[in-house]
This record gives sequence, C-alpha cells and structure tokens, in this order.
Amino acid sequence: MPDAVEVEDVTRVFEPRKKKDERVVALDEVSLTIPEGEIHGLLGPNGAGKTTLVKILSTVLLPTSGRARVCGHDVVEETKAVRPLIGIVFGGERGLYWRLTGRQNLEYWGALYRLPPAAVRERTRTLLERVGLADRADQRVEQYSRGMKQRLHLARGLIGDAKVLFLDEPTTGMDPIAGREFRTLIGELKGEGRTILLATHDMVEAETVCDRVTLIDRGKIIATESPRSLGHVISRFQRVDVEGAPEPVLGRIAALEGVSAVTRTEDGGARIEVSEEGATAEVLRRLVDAGVTSVRTSLPSLEEVYVQLIGERGLEV
Amino acid sequence: MRGFLAGFGLELRIVRAAPDALMPLLTAPLFALVFLAIVRQSGRADLEADALLAPVLMTLWWVALQHAGHLITGDRWQALLEPVIATPTSLATILLGRIAALMGLGLLSFGEVLIVGKLVFGVGVPFEHPVEMALTLLATAFATAGTAIAFAAVFVMTRNAYTFTNSLSFPLYLLGGVFVPVAFLPGWIQPVSSGVFMSWSADLLRATVKRDGIGDFWSRLAMIVALGAASFLLGRLILFHVLARMRAKGELATV
Ligand SMILES: Nc1ncnc2c1ncn2[C@@H]1O[C@H](COP(=O)(O)OP(=O)(O)O)[C@@H](O)[C@H]1O
Ligand SMILES: [Mg+2]
Repeated sequence: MPDAVEVEDVTRVFEPRKKKDERVVALDEVSLTIPEGEIHGLLGPNGAGKTTLVKILSTVLLPTSGRARVCGHDVVEETKAVRPLIGIVFGGERGLYWRLTGRQNLEYWGALYRLPPAAVRERTRTLLERVGLADRADQRVEQYSRGMKQRLHLARGLIGDAKVLFLDEPTTGMDPIAGREFRTLIGELKGEGRTILLATHDMVEAETVCDRVTLIDRGKIIATESPRSLGHVISRFQRVDVEGAPEPVLGRIAALEGVSAVTRTEDGGARIEVSEEGATAEVLRRLVDAGVTSVRTSLPSLEEVYVQLIGERGLEV
Repeated sequence: MRGFLAGFGLELRIVRAAPDALMPLLTAPLFALVFLAIVRQSGRADLEADALLAPVLMTLWWVALQHAGHLITGDRWQALLEPVIATPTSLATILLGRIAALMGLGLLSFGEVLIVGKLVFGVGVPFEHPVEMALTLLATAFATAGTAIAFAAVFVMTRNAYTFTNSLSFPLYLLGGVFVPVAFLPGWIQPVSSGVFMSWSADLLRATVKRDGIGDFWSRLAMIVALGAASFLLGRLILFHVLARMRAKGELATV
C-alpha cells in the first residue's frame, strides 16, 4: 500500500511579479513521507512554506521541481485520481459564501464531491452537529463569529469523506474551548483511519495532536520526528540546571563557546543553555571542578527547540 | 450533471440572498418604456414590438457581461477558487450551471416587458411565430452563456475588468443590433456585427413578431447556435489555459 503522502525533493519558486519584487524560494528540496493513518504536523513560522506545500499537495499549485503523490497518485499529472481523496481546510475567514447559510454552503460543497442529494443533506446535518453549528445552521455565514466560520471550514473539509486531510492553520481565531474540541475531533478522525497533515505555527497544537512533527523554516525541512523525540534529535540543545553555583563560575561558563545563555532563576539557581555538540561536557566539567554538585541536565521541550532553531521570529503571528 | 445542478442551485441561492444580480430586471422595463416612447414620438407603430424585445436581449447581455463574466473573479477574491478546483467537479461544469441559472433569470425580463408594454402603453408583443420566437430566445440564451464563459475566463486575468465591462456594454448593444438593426450601422462595421451572434438573434427575434413569413428561419437559428457553440468552445479553451497558467504561477488565490 502506498504511503498517504509522499513528497520528493519538491522545490517551489515564485518568480517576481513586479520588477522590484524578489524571487522567493518558498520550498527548497523538501522531502516528506506520511504513512496512512498518521497525524503529521507541519510546524514553522509565518512564511516558512507550509501553505505552499499544502497547496501543491491539494493540486492547486504546481511544484517548480520534484514530485509529490497522494495515495500513490501524482498531484500534478493525476489530479482526477487525487481530488476525490482529499479534503482541504484553509485557515482564515474567507473561502465561504458569506451570504449563504452554513447549511447551504455545505450542501454546495457536498454536491461537488458527487454525493447524491439525499446523502449530501444527511452528511451536512451530521457534520453541522459534529462541529457544533447545528443550531446556527440556517443563519447566514456573515453573521458567524470568526471561530464559527473556522468550524464551518472544517466541516467543509470533511464533507467529501476524504482519506487524506490537509488542514492549514485550522484553529486560527478559535477560542481555547473550541481549540480543545478541535483536538478531540482530530482524535476521532484519526480513529476513522484518516491521514492528516496539519500545518500550524502553534507548537502546543502540534505537540498535543500530532504523531510526528516536521519542523520547517524558510522552505527547508529541519527535522521530522515525534514531538517528544524532537528534543533528542536536537540533542545539542541541552540545558543544564544548577543550584548554588558561584557567580564567577557562571560568568566563565557563559563566555564558553557553545553556551548560548545563562539565566538566573528565582530560587537562586541558574539555567545554562547549550547550543553546540560537546559543549555540555565542558560545562559539566567546569561545574564539578568548582564543587557544584546539584546539577541536572535535560532536553528542551518542542517549544524550546523551536525557539532555538527558528528564533523568536517563530513566535510572531 | 451533478456539478451543473450544484452550480445552478448555488447561483439561485446567491441571487435570492443578494438580489443585486437582478438589477437588470429593474432596468429592462425602464428601457422598454424609453424605447416605446421613442418609437411613439417618431410615429413608427410598426416598431413598437421591437422596442419591447430589445430590453430582453439587453438584459441577457448585461447579465453575461456584468455578472456571469465576473463569477470566477468573485470566487477568487473570496478565496473560493482553490477549494473549488481541488474538488472532483470541473470548474467549467459548475460555471455552466451558474450561468444557466443567470440566463434563466435574465429571460424573466421577457415577461416584464410584456406586462409593462400592456399596462403603460397598451402595446403587446404580437406572437406571429411563437415557436420560432421561443427557439430564438433559447438559442440566444445558449449563445450568451457560451460567451459568458469566455468573458469569465478572460476577466479573471484582467485587472480592470469591471471598468471594461461598464464601458463596453453599450457599444456592444449597438454592435449587436439589439434595437437598431445592424443594417443601419456604418458599412464598415457590419462585417464585425455579423460575427456577433447577438446581431443574428436580434434580427431573427424581430422577424418572429412580424406578420410576414420568416425567411431562412432554420439556417439563421443554426447560425446563432453555431456562433454560440463557437464561443462556448473558445470559452472552455481559454478557461483551461487560464487555470493552468494560474496553477503554475500561484495565482488561483489572492494573498
Ligand atoms: N502566490 C504566491 N506568489 C508569490 N509568493 C508567494 C506566493 N505564495 C507564497 N509566497 C511566498 O512564499 C513564502 C512561503 O509562503 P507560505 O507557504 O504561505 O508560508 P506559510 O504558510 O508557512 O506562512 C513566503 O515568502 C510567501 O511570501
Ligand atoms: Mg500559511
């Protein structure tokens, strides 16, 4: 059985439209495989290339080079085979007919997935319930809150009964409770055997719902791992928590090559952050030499890795 | 077929929710009154029926140019084009359904002018050749729909399509001979008009309300259908290329 999503060396370049614009390499030889049934996070800051990859996989954008397949079908050549298999949810409020009701919107999209009319009505009803819009179904979308529009988007992505779902920042604008419900929904979808590619810049979201996460920045993949083991992959980003270390020792450690930060904690301890392989050993040696024995090393959380790799940029929305 | 019906239903629902597409149904009776007043003033009672028919053709043209022509652009601006294209149904099929709905609504103007002519001026449309008339109207709606697809595909690439269509609708009425027969236009323009299906439609439609027999009815009808089919094929071809180009350049969405 082919993998649900296979991306091989995909590059996408946007040529400038105006003279003064620059050429943008949105994806730079990206490769990625998502087995069937996996929930895969695509995590990266704004402009990383997430949406570009989602668009290529959903057949609405061509790669400049490289190949991509969904359930074994090429997304450039075999669009007829790919389209019935996929559902897409683009973030934001646009992408719906605002003057129609939620139900009317869904019925239209259902018909485009070639369901018979009775099935369209039935699926629409179930989905509206599933995303919690049943009691607002017959109101115009323009009267929906941002979060409600997002939920309608989600329902739209599901109406074709897709095997593979591409969700691009699906929770932007949702309140925290809706966000939690969203995670439950993702769990249910996984239970139904669907494969999901979830593009997000929200680390907590990636960490809580994804089986594996791909970190992407400036069009390049940095790592693909389970959220927990991402920390291991990037083991050079270790941190050392110490208690009772004398100030001069900490000062000398801070000056070491490969030590990215030394911060004092409120209880009088300190956290030493290391960003180069081998530096941890040197830090530990110096601490032990200075007679400091209350030392603990640990791996950073996904969030910290993200910040280390991508920088504070990643936290801007 | 399902895609066609989905488009048809969608457009009816959109129009019901936001009836601005029906603007020309407000102006058609007004144009009928203006034209009737003109022919009255010049003492040409023989042209009264023509004065009533012209607004019907104008309405179809207007709907094609101002509304159907901007359907793809509208979807694109609302970020609907990409999701539509990612579904298994082809955009051309959906578009056809949407345009068919608009043409159907445009044909309602026929009923309007009948009522207005009767109520205000006591003038009716003489149904001398009713079957031929119905066929001509249908063929015209078909050809207009074909042209509208071509418009829609071209306009989505054109930044100032609205300005263009606003200024172009009147010259096109003239060129299409909707009220003044093309025969009265300057000689050099006549060959251009004969390539416009609307001029054939207008002439034939006027012939169906005259007592005299209609010369060459079937071949003239065939000409409308043929010109319509040609716009249709051309429209699909343009649409195909425009979509392929936008997919390559990343222009199916506006940022
Ligand atoms: N249609 C387009 N035309 C030109 N540049 C684009 C287009 N789409 C995206 N880009 C550029 O490609 C880069 C990646 O964008 P995107 O894939 O939207 O990132 P993300 O979704 O991770 O925020 C950005 O620099 C963006 O400006
Ligand atoms: Mg994005």
